[in-house]
Amino acid sequence: MPARSILGLCGLTLLGLTGPVPAQAPSTGADLKATIALNGFPCDRVVDSKRNADSDYTATCKDGNRYRVYVDATGRVVVKKL
Amino acid sequence: MRRRRPGALAILILLAACAHDSRGSRVATGEAPVTPGAPAQAATEPGPAAETQVVPQTAASAPVSAPEGPAANVSAPAAGPTAPVASSTSSPSRPEAPKSRAGNQATVPKSAPVPLVGATAATPAAAALPLPKAAIPPPLDLKGLEQRLRDTGAIGLFTKLYLKNQVDDLLAQFKTFHQGQSEVTLGQLRQKYELLLMKVVTLLQDGDPALASAVSSSREAIWAVLTDPQKFAAIGYST
Repeated sequence: MPARSILGLCGLTLLGLTGPVPAQAPSTGADLKATIALNGFPCDRVVDSKRNADSDYTATCKDGNRYRVYVDATGRVVVKKL
Repeated sequence: MRRRRPGALAILILLAACAHDSRGSRVATGEAPVTPGAPAQAATEPGPAAETQVVPQTAASAPVSAPEGPAANVSAPAAGPTAPVASSTSSPSRPEAPKSRAGNQATVPKSAPVPLVGATAATPAAAALPLPKAAIPPPLDLKGLEQRLRDTGAIGLFTKLYLKNQVDDLLAQFKTFHQGQSEVTLGQLRQKYELLLMKVVTLLQDGDPALASAVSSSREAIWAVLTDPQKFAAIGYST
């Protein structure tokens, strides 16, 4: 019985994990990574990000490349490799 | 054990009977969609031939209409298996479509299986129902899609702003295209549109799959708005 209950608990946990997950806002790292990738730069994962100002970040990707991601005066997203 | 055996036998017999019935019902229900599917296949078979015939003609006739050929070719696989019927009826030539449909209707009784005489009476109704569903696209709600894109949590702020910039750039290019001042062809605009839509769907498909499918299914409707000068002017885009 304890083994069954443990198995059932594991099954319920797995079911809960695979259930529908509500759309939450992605983290800053994921957002920066997507923005960097959409601008044509390779970035597998953002391992570090530093906020310079409002809508101005410096992101460090897993491969060591650093990018400055910011919104310029015209409202455009700009990604510059540092 | 002896008492259980007759019960098990009865259950087995019942299961066998149910399985037999279900096979029969599967055949009956399976062939009702098959008969409309057979004309759909028959319609799609001349469809690519018609498209391949149309594309060189349009390419030879006008450079502007040339991109519509690849656009139609791109849209056909993207919209799924039901779309070719609609695209083949709408895009190539309208007078040919009724002929093919009439031909298909004529072939339906021929291709109908002999043992299902009762089911063939239901096939015209069953064949008539799915076709309008496939032919009529869902109504486009641009404002609703825009609001859902603004509200979704699947995309971050930077990414949303980047996508908005891309959409504004594309709309500006369409505006100059409709004004006749653009050197960009409709085919190039289609490529940019497809690429942008692919980016949006890719970003949405993990975090907001419902919105991703809504955007993806509205692909052709949005393209129709973008390419029609009157519809494009109606959306009120201003740089």
